[in-house]
Amino acid sequence: MANRQPAVRADLEEIFRAAYPRVVAVAARVLGGRNEADDVAQEVFLAFGRSDVPAAEAIGWLSVAAAHTALNQLRSGRRRVSREEAARSESVSPDVADAVVVNDERRRVRAALARLPRKQAIALVLRHSGLSYAEVAAALDLSPASVGTTVRRAESALRKELNRHASPE
Amino acid sequence: MRHPSDGTLRRLLDEPAGVPDTARDHVATCATCRSALLTARHDAEFAAAALAFDTDPDTEAAWRELSAALPVTPSPPVKPSFRTTISRPLVAALAAVALLAGASAAAATDWFQVFRADRVAPITVNPAELVQLPDLSSYGTLVIEREPHVREVTGAAAARLVTGLDAPVVAELPHGVTGTPTYYAGDQAAAVFTFSAAKAGQTAAAAGKPLPAPPAGLDGARFRLTAGPGVAEVWRESRGAPAMIVGRAAAPKAYSAGIPFATARDYLLTLPGIPRAVADQLRRFSADGATLPLIVRSAEQTSSTADVNGVPALVLSSRDGAFTGVFWVRDGMVDAVAGSLGSDEVLRVARELRWGR
Repeated sequence: MANRQPAVRADLEEIFRAAYPRVVAVAARVLGGRNEADDVAQEVFLAFGRSDVPAAEAIGWLSVAAAHTALNQLRSGRRRVSREEAARSESVSPDVADAVVVNDERRRVRAALARLPRKQAIALVLRHSGLSYAEVAAALDLSPASVGTTVRRAESALRKELNRHASPE
Repeated sequence: MRHPSDGTLRRLLDEPAGVPDTARDHVATCATCRSALLTARHDAEFAAAALAFDTDPDTEAAWRELSAALPVTPSPPVKPSFRTTISRPLVAALAAVALLAGASAAAATDWFQVFRADRVAPITVNPAELVQLPDLSSYGTLVIEREPHVREVTGAAAARLVTGLDAPVVAELPHGVTGTPTYYAGDQAAAVFTFSAAKAGQTAAAAGKPLPAPPAGLDGARFRLTAGPGVAEVWRESRGAPAMIVGRAAAPKAYSAGIPFATARDYLLTLPGIPRAVADQLRRFSADGATLPLIVRSAEQTSSTADVNGVPALVLSSRDGAFTGVFWVRDGMVDAVAGSLGSDEVLRVARELRWGR
């Protein structure tokens, strides 16, 4: 009688190498930071490695899992201080003023994303990460016809959210 | 014609081939729609700029990091057999929900049966919730006493010898399913879960939340989970993929020692880490714990209910139409018919099944 070591699917490495850049890109769009996105991708691939998701559906599954996990981080306010510091230093450019503006912009976008309805936010991120309407539909349990509506509403809401909070305080 | 919807206009920007010709022709001649299309384009470009993030990840370094966090031995390829109908995440989820959906109390020093399925019901989850669904090791120690050990056997008699169960007899094969089946037998699987307040506390802390105070007697309490034995017959297509699977297995059961099961269930449903949508559905299950919850992946599958000779059944269908399965529970046994078939076909086979020669 012994603890069973969790098994890992045999095709994990192949799928990891093919899908990792896409998964990081999805998480980075939500979180606005590369290091945090790398953490999310690791978490998602660990779960995927223990799953039996068909290989043909891996990209969609991984993308939506990355978006959900990243949004959860945003909304829970769960942050890793060291990673946050690393992300800041990563984006420091020779022009400090530019860096401040970039960081502020990313913070505002993340806050606006967190205020959108979850399905809209995820549809928006997946579409802008390059998933087709059919892939977004499958990932979010939508009809392909309603993906356009969801994305359109999300884009309109994002613009309104960012404009509403753009006025100087 | 009516103006196309905002969604259609939006798709026109990305995938014009996916928009009907009539809508494209309308937009080309309608000033109102062209104006709406321009607004949609501006919003899309604005969102693209806001969400732009230049990522050039180091895949090699990331793979090394992931490899270090993985167990050493990769799992063997899953055989296209009965095992595929009880996939590993499903088993893990079933173990968890069997524990959580358990029922009446059993407070004693010995094992008492508190859960026995006599019907099935779906739990609908989206893929991300499935990712979040914790395994039991997040809340204690799960020790596998016996693996199910599913293997091919020579026929119905051998399957009965291994499992004590009669093999199914199909009255009439559906169109496209031909030949003789391959028989599989699996032993009973058993595991013991021991709740640990310390581990649950770590899991809660990782989620950034405090651990609710456990009820008296839960820390260290043991729960025994069993499933099987089971038999299955598999008809293959010419390419080797299963065309139809018919099977039967003893339903999962949970036993509790030392604490009323309902107390444990109610507490576990409050722990951080269990997706709220899943917990809400679990709470709706019958208080007598006689329901076997099956995971339905909302993005990939749909579920409906049916009747198999007076017994409520659950029909799961993949959204691409490639797979349909019907599951029902009778006398403590889970029965299933599944394959590359329509729901009418699997239900007809299910209703005409006999068990034993």
